[in-house]
Amino acid sequence: MNFMTLILLAGAGTFLMRFLPLVTGSGLSQHPSRLRLMLSALGVTAITALIVLSLVGLWQPEQPFGSTLRMLAGSVSVLAALRFSGHVGLATLVGAVVYGLTGW
Amino acid sequence: MSDHSASQLSHFLAGLRASASLAIGYVPMAFSFGVVALQANLAPWQAMAISIIVFAGAAQFILVSLLAAGTGGLTALTAVLLLNVRHVFYGPALVAQLACKPGRWSPLLAFGLTDEAFATAMSEATRRKLPPVWCVGVGLGAYGSWVLGTVLGVMLGAGLEGDEGVIGQALSFVLPALFIALLGQAFQRALWPVIAISAVLTGLSLLWLPGHVAMIIGMVGGALIRPWVGLNREAQS
Repeated sequence: MNFMTLILLAGAGTFLMRFLPLVTGSGLSQHPSRLRLMLSALGVTAITALIVLSLVGLWQPEQPFGSTLRMLAGSVSVLAALRFSGHVGLATLVGAVVYGLTGW
Repeated sequence: MSDHSASQLSHFLAGLRASASLAIGYVPMAFSFGVVALQANLAPWQAMAISIIVFAGAAQFILVSLLAAGTGGLTALTAVLLLNVRHVFYGPALVAQLACKPGRWSPLLAFGLTDEAFATAMSEATRRKLPPVWCVGVGLGAYGSWVLGTVLGVMLGAGLEGDEGVIGQALSFVLPALFIALLGQAFQRALWPVIAISAVLTGLSLLWLPGHVAMIIGMVGGALIRPWVGLNREAQS
């Protein structure tokens, strides 16, 4: 699969997952079923798995304590900023800045 | 201009203004995406193509990560689509909060229906019913800031590749910070077993398997227990 084919399929798939439920009404979100519950949890579990993957990628075995502490400081800052601002973008920015500053 | 057109334009501009708060987060995230894409040996036009065509923040990062790791196109596509499956539930939830049927605005409304745009709309919906064209304004404003951030990232970010200074360090944490913030926003107490199982499965899988496989095991494994968690709580209540 070449690059443009992949991007076009990813774009089309993403768009259809937003578009089709929008035009077919509210049935899917109101229908109670095990499948619906599993699908609804995929977003949260995907984000959880991505957190683990991205943090493991940042962890430095030669500085186990220091790198763990920096990730902890960054993560707590994100959650604190989110708690006070309710804004995902701002919380991301605060966490990144705290992580950057603690490694300087 | 008719009263109806003027009203539509007014709602659209109000939506664009509401998207300004999204831009605060989107521009640096998209800037970071541009830098990460260059680090993954993608050409600037390829990074731009992903932002313009896919427009799905977190999924774009994982797409680039998987491409950089040499993963096959089908696996990368599967990961992107699995990551975006949650969007299936946004449309029906949003339609219930609209002042009227979206009609001809549906394609544009759907294109801009990211996590953050959806959250912004649902927050506004606690105060009033939403004109569809207002939601289109929010989505297009978010899209514009995402594309702008990517342009800045691929134009100005080349010098930041491998940078060990504060900016380089901060950019390396943008991705985990984004995911932590998204999880914090989506967190519900009832979901903690699902989140814990997903984290443990991903971590354990990483000991023996490559990252993209560990991710799929973690996300599917965690989601599989979700009906049991729900039924258990229903039985208790």
